[in-house]
Amino acid sequence: MSVDLITNKKNQNAKGTSLIKCLTDCEKGEEVVVLRVNAGRNAKTRLANLGVVPGVKIKKTKKAPFNGPVEIIVKGSSLVIGRGLASKVIVKCNEVCEN
Amino acid sequence: MSCHSPNKKSRKIIKSKDTINIALAGNPNVGKSVIFNQLTGLSQTIGNWPGKTVERMEGHLEFLGYHFNIVDLPGIYSLSTYSLEEIVSREYVVSDDVDIIINVIDATNLERNLFFTFQLLELKVPMILAINQMDLLRKRNFDLDFKELEKVFKLPVLPLVAVHGTGVHQLLEEAIELVVYRHPHHHYRRKKSKDSSHHGHHYYRVEHIIERSDFKENISEKFKFPELNEVTAFGKEVESKILGLIEVIDSFRRNISSCNYPSRFLAIKLLETDSEVIKIFKDNKEGNGIIETSNKYREELEKLHGEDIDTIISSEIYNNIKKIVDLSLITKIKKNVKKWTLTNSFDHLTTHSILGYIVLIVVLFGIYFFTFTLGGFIAGLLDEAFTVWSDSIYASVSEDNVWVKIFWDGGIGGLIGALGGVLVYVVPFFFVIEILQDSGYLPRAAFLMDRLMHSLGVHGKTIIPMILGFGCNVPACAGCRIMETEREKKISVALTSLIPCAATMTVVLGLVGRYLGFHWVIILFLINFSVIFLVGRLLNKTLPGQCTELIMEMHEYRVPNYKVIFKQTWVRTKEFIFKAMPIIVVLGIALEILLVFNALEPINTILSPVTVLWLGLPTVTGVFLIYGILRKELTLVLLSILANSLNLNLLELLTPIQMIVFSMVTMLYIPCFATIILIAKQTSWKYALQISLLEIGLALLIGGIINFGFIIFTSF
Repeated sequence: MSVDLITNKKNQNAKGTSLIKCLTDCEKGEEVVVLRVNAGRNAKTRLANLGVVPGVKIKKTKKAPFNGPVEIIVKGSSLVIGRGLASKVIVKCNEVCEN
Repeated sequence: MSCHSPNKKSRKIIKSKDTINIALAGNPNVGKSVIFNQLTGLSQTIGNWPGKTVERMEGHLEFLGYHFNIVDLPGIYSLSTYSLEEIVSREYVVSDDVDIIINVIDATNLERNLFFTFQLLELKVPMILAINQMDLLRKRNFDLDFKELEKVFKLPVLPLVAVHGTGVHQLLEEAIELVVYRHPHHHYRRKKSKDSSHHGHHYYRVEHIIERSDFKENISEKFKFPELNEVTAFGKEVESKILGLIEVIDSFRRNISSCNYPSRFLAIKLLETDSEVIKIFKDNKEGNGIIETSNKYREELEKLHGEDIDTIISSEIYNNIKKIVDLSLITKIKKNVKKWTLTNSFDHLTTHSILGYIVLIVVLFGIYFFTFTLGGFIAGLLDEAFTVWSDSIYASVSEDNVWVKIFWDGGIGGLIGALGGVLVYVVPFFFVIEILQDSGYLPRAAFLMDRLMHSLGVHGKTIIPMILGFGCNVPACAGCRIMETEREKKISVALTSLIPCAATMTVVLGLVGRYLGFHWVIILFLINFSVIFLVGRLLNKTLPGQCTELIMEMHEYRVPNYKVIFKQTWVRTKEFIFKAMPIIVVLGIALEILLVFNALEPINTILSPVTVLWLGLPTVTGVFLIYGILRKELTLVLLSILANSLNLNLLELLTPIQMIVFSMVTMLYIPCFATIILIAKQTSWKYALQISLLEIGLALLIGGIINFGFIIFTSF
């Protein structure tokens, strides 16, 4: 995998095709596609069992205050992920995101 | 469709009573407990899986001449080795104790639920797929093609609306059919049903049961689990490796004849480096060779796909699931699909950045007040009853009758104390926590509190037991069973036991608060919370395993099912009564014996190096602290009694610094005995002992520091 995906650098293409960022940086209500999960084995497997695998479409629905957990919808069900782990979920959003 | 009552004629024809053992398996929150409750009613018992700290819910019923034993497995998402629940479940399901699995699936969460179904299919145990919450699915303008699902899975697939009771007993009829016919029935062929909840089942039920009147064979030997490779096969590369492993495992079979797992399951688990499965192969040369092969295959696959093996396999499974769902999920024409529902608005309210926290505080205070007003009221009644009864007993017997003292004051007194002091709070608490869990509020609370809890080394869910701990540690520690992993349970249980409960508060307020001023109470509290914080960090560093990140499903809010709640509350209360209370009673009797025979003096002397020299307290407090293990407020109660008998004011009995030390020690030194029992039940006696020793150590350390600090300070 390219280095860009391992670090948290935002990858912005001048033509505006896709933006790669981590889940915590996404906006509420944003629909994104999972690229990879850079977490430890247990967390990764648990997330995979719940449907969070590369290629799957997820939607970020909530964000708890004070850097708290994040809620997403994946495979039709609602999942809450702690912030530390959410920051390790690398996603790609479909639209051009201007920050 | 209501369940038809069993035909009385058929009952008389059946001669032998056969037993069918069912395991209910599925994700959390799919409605398993509703089904379990409807089937087993009050015959439920809660125990533990032998040697493990996982709960086991069992029940039984008679239906159509058969005796059904039903075990409700814990709600899990997979069959890995992540949690004890998963390990226990998979071992149980393949054992001889299970004839049939009923896999309960939530229709509104089909894809994710089917992931677990696919795990279960690999175990090749006769299975019925029970798809629940069909009413909700239809409300959302979807439906399922059951005919298609049965065609795909080649196993019975039945619709259910468990909360209405629809379809529940059909599950048992289906289980009987699997026993009789030993192969699944195709339900949806004959009738062109518009409503798939009628699957033309009943017209053949009676005839078939009459036919089988002398059938006796063991079902698991006869039932031929369908060939499901089309459904479960993975992509080419992965599948070829698996088939390769299956070959070597099959030739190795003779060495592991006691192993009940199918070869395909073992192959997949070996690839996933499943620790329990590896153990099966490890101690043998050929077995090690198989492990080596699986390692090689895994590396090849990981290199090929650029992902780790768990992700690869999960992706493959979800791919297979998608195909099935695409075939069988029917989208109806959208009529008035409400975008904004009541549950949605509730959800937003309770997780809102500001309002959510307000709601949380209100809920927590609500729980606290409900538990302790109701509990306190009943405790008061019990107290009165006991006093009246005591008076009448002592009126007819001499004051010095030793045996009465021991058994009445110690035994029954201890029992009433346990009832009044603990059980009256425990029952409302169990009730309230079942409501919270069932309605769906708990995940929202955990969501809001996760960040704060992380600084203590636990995660969001722990907030509930900890707040309850302010009332009474006993039900609070019991509440720690909602933690998912051993590690989290251990830490939550330790931290909860350090929360000053109402009894401890009585001591602090009655001693330090009353004689030294409220600001001292605040200081003691701050010290207590610092200790909690530090213990959290300590346990976080020393306990094996990582601090787990919160990964939690938030299901929709729903109205709690009152039948389930009442039954669960009752079953848990029953368990508490039979486990914790006898010990409390025995201890009460023991202490009363000591008191009666004046055996206290020697104990005081033995403890004096600690109490007098280190803590600077009067000798007599030694025994009071021992009593405090039974009930924390006893430390103050006994002190007051002593003061009274010496006609002294408490201020004359203890110096201010002694009061502070005494209160501090009471707050920290050891959880009350009932709490220790509950900690042991949740984790282990070894851990309960370790925590108790840790807390004693901390209490003595801080008490000593305060004492000597003061001495040093005043000598200047």
